[in-house]
Amino acid sequence: MKSLKNHLSVIFPLFVLLFSIQFSFLTNKIVEDYSRKLTRDYSIVIVASKTIDKAVLKSRVKGIKSIQEISSKKILDRLKDNISSKNISLLKIALPKFYSLKLESFPDISRIEKIKDRLLKSGLVSKVETFSKTHTKIYRMFMLLKSISFLFAAFILIVSVLLMFKQMRIWLLEHKERMAVMTLFGAPFWMKSAMLYRLAIVDSFISTIFVSILYSVLPFMKEVNTFSKSMNITIPTFDILKDGGTLLGISLVFSLFIVSIVISKMNRE
Amino acid sequence: MEHVINAENMTLAYGKDEPIITEASMKINPNEFVFITGKSGSGKSTILKSMYGELSPQKGVLDVCGVGIKNISTSKLNLLRRYLGIVFQDYRLINEWTVEKNVMLPLMIGGFSKGVCAKQAHKLLKHVKLLHKADKYPLELSGGEQQRVAMARALAHNPVMILADEPTGNLDEYSSEVIWDLLKNAKEHLGTTVVVVTHHIPSTLGIDYKHYFLESGVVYEVS
Repeated sequence: MKSLKNHLSVIFPLFVLLFSIQFSFLTNKIVEDYSRKLTRDYSIVIVASKTIDKAVLKSRVKGIKSIQEISSKKILDRLKDNISSKNISLLKIALPKFYSLKLESFPDISRIEKIKDRLLKSGLVSKVETFSKTHTKIYRMFMLLKSISFLFAAFILIVSVLLMFKQMRIWLLEHKERMAVMTLFGAPFWMKSAMLYRLAIVDSFISTIFVSILYSVLPFMKEVNTFSKSMNITIPTFDILKDGGTLLGISLVFSLFIVSIVISKMNRE
Repeated sequence: MEHVINAENMTLAYGKDEPIITEASMKINPNEFVFITGKSGSGKSTILKSMYGELSPQKGVLDVCGVGIKNISTSKLNLLRRYLGIVFQDYRLINEWTVEKNVMLPLMIGGFSKGVCAKQAHKLLKHVKLLHKADKYPLELSGGEQQRVAMARALAHNPVMILADEPTGNLDEYSSEVIWDLLKNAKEHLGTTVVVVTHHIPSTLGIDYKHYFLESGVVYEVS
């Protein structure tokens, strides 16, 4: 019972630590996926007096994925009833060319400004509409989400590491007598501390398994599905090899590092 | 190796405190049985501590099995301790381990295979008449039995020297006799040097021994 309690005291902070780290990864993936979707929908409208050579514009302004001309036919059709056909023909000649510009990736605020600036300086464009207000709102929301998840992970990390330090000191005190007896018979350092390292490794595996199960099940939960559909986001599935491996690596690094620090501190004392 | 222990003008102190042993000189030969006696607090256990490297001499020389204890490195000390068997009044067994595993400890440290360790542990447990309790845990045994396990552990790796700190201090008459017999046997049949710190030398030991007496931090050899 005592041993189980000891294990849980390390498994729990490790579990929380891995949970928050994976949550942070997951948020990043969702944000990336969502920004890809937004990139598909987001476009900049440019106005030019003459027909634009798309290749030239692409070479002058980097990051443009595609340039599509917006037909002026719809505007002119609406005006047909009020204006004479002669004036319509004149308007057709005088009307500037409109283009919809798609970007390769979802830009941040400064990049939008740069693109706008380059477009205007290209000599081919007379006006640029970036719809930056709407864009900025969404972009800032994403950044906030990313920052919150990062801060959350960092905070949890600190608390978990402190909890693990505390528990491993307790482990060490429990094993101190055994280590002292082993020292009397000339046991090397690795042999005396093997027990603690073994405990740390076992607990790392257990906590990784728990977190992996949780995140594997998560995308298939009814509530999560409903939420993701309503938000138009996709919850990425948990890759046992890639994600599980990363989590195991992180938990091993943390737990073994903490055991080493605690043992070396005791040796110095 | 001429002497198992060679101490010359050795002064022992804990940190910067007043010395507990001053200018002590001792020479212990291989296969000798040695008693170190003295009143409580006279420094008997301190001398023993220095012999297994727990305490380094402040002044003078102390060589154990030909190895200088002063400023000895951890790795050298670990190596030296693999040639020693240590017995304490409070047994110092690992309570979470079975009796068998406790006896196996010095052999495990020595890097022997599990099979060899188990075989030797069984032999030793048979020797101390506790083979039937090999799977028990120390706290399931009586004090006398625990000390016999400690003796088996001390003998498991055929040490050059056994250092015993009041080995019968907590035991009844019968158990004490068993421990003295085991120590005597180690000297007579295994050629082990035995150094015992005690209040009282048993009158029925029946072997030759060397006797050092401690008083006011000074070591006297009793002839």
